Amino acid sequence: MNSKLFKKDLEYIVSLVLSISASLLIGALIMMANGRSPAVGYGALLKGAFGSKYNMANTFAKTVPLVLTGLATAISFRSGIFNIGGEGQLYLGAFAAAYVGITFTTLPKGIGIILAIIAGALVGGLYAFVPGLLKVKYKIDEVITTIMLNTVAVFFTSYLVNYPFATTRGKLNGTEIIADQFHLSRLIRLSTLNTSIFFMGFIALLIYYLMEKTSTGYDFKLVGQNSLFARFGGINDRRQMIIAMVLSGALCGLAGVFEVLGVHYRFLQNISPGYAWDGMLVALIVKNNPIGVIIMSIFFGALKTGSISMENATSIPSELVLVIQSIIILFIAGEAGFKEKFKEWNAGRKVKQKAGERNA
Amino acid sequence: MQEERLNKRQVKGMLKQVLNLTLIQHTIRTATPLILAALGGLLTEHAGMLNIGMEGMILLGSFFGVLGSYYFGSSLAGVVLAGLVGLVVGLIFAIFVIDLKSDEFIVGIAINIFAGGLTVFLLRSIFGVKGAFSSPDIIPLPRLNFPGISSIPFLNVILNNHSIFVYLSWIFVALIYIYLYKTPYGIWLRASGEYPEALETAGVSPKKMKYIGSIVCGILCGFAGSHLSLGYLTLFTENMSANRGFVALAAIIFGTANPIKTFAAALMFGFFDALGIRLQVVGVPSQFTQMIPYVATIVALFILTKRQLAKKKRDREGAA
Repeated sequence: MNSKLFKKDLEYIVSLVLSISASLLIGALIMMANGRSPAVGYGALLKGAFGSKYNMANTFAKTVPLVLTGLATAISFRSGIFNIGGEGQLYLGAFAAAYVGITFTTLPKGIGIILAIIAGALVGGLYAFVPGLLKVKYKIDEVITTIMLNTVAVFFTSYLVNYPFATTRGKLNGTEIIADQFHLSRLIRLSTLNTSIFFMGFIALLIYYLMEKTSTGYDFKLVGQNSLFARFGGINDRRQMIIAMVLSGALCGLAGVFEVLGVHYRFLQNISPGYAWDGMLVALIVKNNPIGVIIMSIFFGALKTGSISMENATSIPSELVLVIQSIIILFIAGEAGFKEKFKEWNAGRKVKQKAGERNA
Repeated sequence: MQEERLNKRQVKGMLKQVLNLTLIQHTIRTATPLILAALGGLLTEHAGMLNIGMEGMILLGSFFGVLGSYYFGSSLAGVVLAGLVGLVVGLIFAIFVIDLKSDEFIVGIAINIFAGGLTVFLLRSIFGVKGAFSSPDIIPLPRLNFPGISSIPFLNVILNNHSIFVYLSWIFVALIYIYLYKTPYGIWLRASGEYPEALETAGVSPKKMKYIGSIVCGILCGFAGSHLSLGYLTLFTENMSANRGFVALAAIIFGTANPIKTFAAALMFGFFDALGIRLQVVGVPSQFTQMIPYVATIVALFILTKRQLAKKKRDREGAA
């Protein structure tokens, strides 16, 4: 049983490596089509991601929102409820943290930060609760509702920072700067890497423990695989789905909180360049495995950071990595299908071979 | 007292500035890409696939529309290129979802991110600019004027001088309606989503119908994109589709994938979009009007399912 599972994992890792290599190869071809050397391009990318303490710090800074939104996706998808609304939950969580940071300016450092974190997680979780409830109670497709709620949150926060909470200093489309004691300390000079990475590590550990080592995590998996079966097994599948959704929303909210407390020190209208979508890709690529999420987040963070250096060194636009990332996800999405087709093709070939032998 | 009167007059002036014929004209204009994309999306919806990659397809259409028009010096070339790219992406969507059995929304998300990355990448590597590209060499789509109605004051403003896709989109609504409900092909397409086994037994390949739906969806989204970048302003900007793919999806759900109802929903959402832009001009926040399509869709879904549940309950009670 165990060795079979292991073989399946190994098979998957092989396809993963193949998918990533094929996508990087396509990236190389695009570079060549632009008259650039892929060796130089990827070399600059690698150096830009890990070449110095500063670069490495930037890579890890980028992993914070990816890990959180990636784990958020993993939890919800594994439970069979698809939270595509991470971006909206992130925006609202970020705003909640900024609100705490500009309102409760007299709180001592530790308590203030904890309050901001709780507020962001709560708001994100509540915002995910709505589509979760609609799904469980009325069977309304959560993919559609969460997509719609994304944009609602983005517009709503855009209203807040342009009207009631607009900063009076300059036209920034953001709130005022949060009070000093809410700022998370930076770890490496000039880099945005800050103490939120420790919070992230702690949260990731908790989520890993919850997903892999507790009966709740096992219930999530059962519900995700077959909710009817889980129900007969005595699991309240509806409750599990809602819990998964709220946890997922809270994690996305936290991703927003740390962008405010650690990076920008205020809420900005366009605070996320699609972190939740990237996080979703990360989780999908590793089939919702929490450890995989962390590894893949570092990989994506490295691609993002390195792409800037690649652009400076070779003038290949950094957006190339977005293309590469989306091709990886396409390959992974088709992985099972590719395998099946390959097996069919292989079986067909063998049959033909046998037929040929017989004829001879 | 006097101040109050002044305010009233100001409000009146503002309303006059917002609610006029131009608003209707803008509604028609902003609804057109929504109509085109939604018409495509409802075909995949009928074929049993939720396509959230429309956003990316529209974006690609916008870019390649500009590219074709700029290089070949003809807007038709731009439209054809945009349609072709849409076709290819629709085909990719179909291959992955139908043949490789991938999750449709994962493929959709991948298409969106791919489109966002590729268009900016090409914008910078082909045109060497960041953010936006515009040039007098991009030929806009032709605008139509019907001399018959140019003497009628209201209709002239509302109906004349639109980009050609405005009128085409209305024709497409009728065509797709006829296709879906009056031809066997339409029945097959709908059956491919609802009763694929039955269709198979009838000797028609559901797979083929799904492919057709997906490809036509890609082409129409490509057209929608080219209308955005060649219709009125001739330029491409990063992330030009600006959620229109999702609003189109909202229109499909709001209009229960019926072409005429979806058309009406797209017009309504276009209206709120146009209203928002005009409200912004007079200093009223536009965010709430922009939110309407999304909120309305959730409310509509809620009412729809509640009604269905109630009907089921009635049926059950009736049976008992």
